[in-house]
Amino acid sequence: MAKAGTDLTSTEYIEHHLTNLICGKADKGWTCDPYLADQMGFWSFHVDSLGWSVFLGLVFVGLFKLGTSKLSSEAPSGLQNFVEMCVEFVNENVQSIFTSAKNPIIGPMALTVLIWVFLMNLMDLVPVDYLPTLVGNFAAYVGLVDTPRDSYFKVVPTTDPNITLGMALAVFILIIFYSIKIKGLKGFISELTLHPFGKYLIPVNFILEFVNLIAKPISLGLRLFGNLYAGEMIFILIALMLVFNSIAIGFLGVGLHLLWALFHILILALQAFIFMVLTIVYLAMAHETEEH
Amino acid sequence: MTINATLLGQTLAFVIFVAICWRYVWPPIIAIMQEREQRITDGLEAAKKANDSLEEAKLNSSAELEKAKQEAAIIIEKANQRASQIVSDAQTKAETEAEKIITSANKTLEGEITKTREALRKDVSEIIISTTEKILEEEISKDKHEKIIIEAAKKI
Repeated sequence: MAKAGTDLTSTEYIEHHLTNLICGKADKGWTCDPYLADQMGFWSFHVDSLGWSVFLGLVFVGLFKLGTSKLSSEAPSGLQNFVEMCVEFVNENVQSIFTSAKNPIIGPMALTVLIWVFLMNLMDLVPVDYLPTLVGNFAAYVGLVDTPRDSYFKVVPTTDPNITLGMALAVFILIIFYSIKIKGLKGFISELTLHPFGKYLIPVNFILEFVNLIAKPISLGLRLFGNLYAGEMIFILIALMLVFNSIAIGFLGVGLHLLWALFHILILALQAFIFMVLTIVYLAMAHETEEH
Repeated sequence: MTINATLLGQTLAFVIFVAICWRYVWPPIIAIMQEREQRITDGLEAAKKANDSLEEAKLNSSAELEKAKQEAAIIIEKANQRASQIVSDAQTKAETEAEKIITSANKTLEGEITKTREALRKDVSEIIISTTEKILEEEISKDKHEKIIIEAAKKI
């Protein structure tokens, strides 16, 4: 599996797998060299994460658009069944959480989150060396890099905190937007400052409520990232077993890989579901007006 | 593992995909699902209605049948009455006719009798005259005359 690792140490192998293909403006100009990442500063992009993320988003839209291209209210079949099942599942979840308030954007958003995050997570099941090796060899063949090992390519977008926190940021913006829209600016501020101790302890209230507010997107993003990063890391470590010149360890590695992949299917779906449910819950909380 | 502009890029991508889903993907699916739900509800309702009307039609048909039977019975009864009336009428007519025929026959017979009686009377008187002439020509003898008289009387 790991052709790249003849004179690669384990640490280098792991580091290689955990480094993004980063592009940004370094001192010498635009470059995609990860070793110059420090020079790029904030305005740099993980092309691999973002590319896969957008690609999988397009897959989601394409799949669901294809599934609805020949819509019929007669007996549905095939892809339409799958699409309708997903939509119904999401809709049921949204309606069970959003009991009082109605917001037409929550359903589509929850569906997007569920399927998109699931697809991104699903990339974790592609053996860790396949795509990086392919891309590395291609890049070396075309002449972008000297050897395949010099190319960096991290496949699973949700193992990049930028991606998960990016989505959490969007959710956070929506939380604040709807809080202000539903409760008014005054209502939102009073919610932040007048709980839980009343108006005489406003600073304490503010600290508590602000942490409460800020913890939502951070926990949302980091939960997904942490789960997927850990899963990916274990896949890398198992893949590392195949690098050793030992048949016994190799077979053990294949067995472990299979076991972990099977178990990981559960985590992938579960994390996507959790991300969706928390998104709905946070937005439902933003829509709640009554005091608590 | 650094935080950089990828985060903003992903936020932007998220917003765009949610917008696409919200605008183009979600509504047709929801619409079609609601439409199917509606169709199923309508179908069930129609089936229930059809069942009801079937029940009603059954009741109606049995009522109609009953009515028709009654009508038929009335018609048959009327027909029977009419038939018996026709028969009795015919009988009466026939009786009258027969009486008429008998009366006229009697009349004819009476006329015939009268005629015959006239003729007989004529004959008798002729016979009597001729017999009387004979008697008067020859001599009236009691024995001889008696025989003739008896003969004449027989002829009468």
